[in-house]
Amino acid sequence: MSPVVQSRGKKITAADNLYTVILAVAFLAVFATAVFVAYQCYTQYGTFFKIQ
Amino acid sequence: MSTLTKVLIVLLTFASIVLCAIVVTYVANADNYKQKYDDQFGRYQSAKKNEDNAKTQLNNTIEAKDRDAEKLGEQIALLKEEKSKLEIDLATVIRERDNANDKVRNWVSTVTDFSKTLENYENLLKNALRDRDLKEAELIKQDKELKDTTAALMENMAIVRQLQDESKRLLEEKTELQNKLDQYLRQFGKVIGEPMPVTPEEGAVSLAPPTTDIDLSGSITEIDLKNLLAEISIGTADGVKEGMRFHLTRGDKFICDLVILDVWPERAVGWIELLQDQPQNQPQVNDKVSTNL
Repeated sequence: MSPVVQSRGKKITAADNLYTVILAVAFLAVFATAVFVAYQCYTQYGTFFKIQ
Repeated sequence: MSTLTKVLIVLLTFASIVLCAIVVTYVANADNYKQKYDDQFGRYQSAKKNEDNAKTQLNNTIEAKDRDAEKLGEQIALLKEEKSKLEIDLATVIRERDNANDKVRNWVSTVTDFSKTLENYENLLKNALRDRDLKEAELIKQDKELKDTTAALMENMAIVRQLQDESKRLLEEKTELQNKLDQYLRQFGKVIGEPMPVTPEEGAVSLAPPTTDIDLSGSITEIDLKNLLAEISIGTADGVKEGMRFHLTRGDKFICDLVILDVWPERAVGWIELLQDQPQNQPQVNDKVSTNL
């Protein structure tokens, strides 16, 4: 990602990489949550989805 | 990148984080239903096993109870049979007991009568022994008298022999004197008459008449036990004399003797002898009296 060229004024803006990081964090949080839920399901019920 | 996109990215991230936190919190605090199910299932299995065991035990108990009931029924039947036998035995024993009691009563009455009879015989024996002693004493006395009489008889026999000798001598003298007198009177033509004895000849000895029982009987009309006197209903009109001995009887029982002291035509009074001590053997009015038993 390359910094955005400010062509109109001198308004300071965050780089696009920051939002990518934020999205990554969100993705990581969702992924960690999914892993945690899957782990809990496997440890408690022995399967991820199937109902015995 | 537009502002809206940026705002959406931030909101999405924020919402994702919040939702993830909520989901993690929920999942972390959620109940372990599988474990609960396993626990409940285990309890169910154990309860079912217990139920099966209980049913098995119940069946065994019912079978044992049925077996015991059959055995008890057999025992009850045997006991009933034994009870009926015992009742029959009891009735037999009661009958035998009653018979034995009757026999005992009969024997008791027999023994009582026998003891009374024995007592009477003892009294009679005592009286007989007393009479025998009296008779023996009398016999001794008569023996003495007989000896004296025999001695006197021997003396008299000797005297009789002397008198016979003298009589023979006198007879010879008489014959001689008669011959002399005969010769003397023949000279004057006379004969001696038949001589008459100075004392009359004694007749031949006759046998005494046979003795017979007097056989008088009467009853007691009055009695005085204090003075041992009794009055009887017969007198001289019936042949009663002083000194006669009467025997008092009541039924078959000997009571006492009565020796007559004084006699009137219709009655007589006598002295009671051989009186017994027992009150039931005391003489009473209307007791029979007789000279012979």
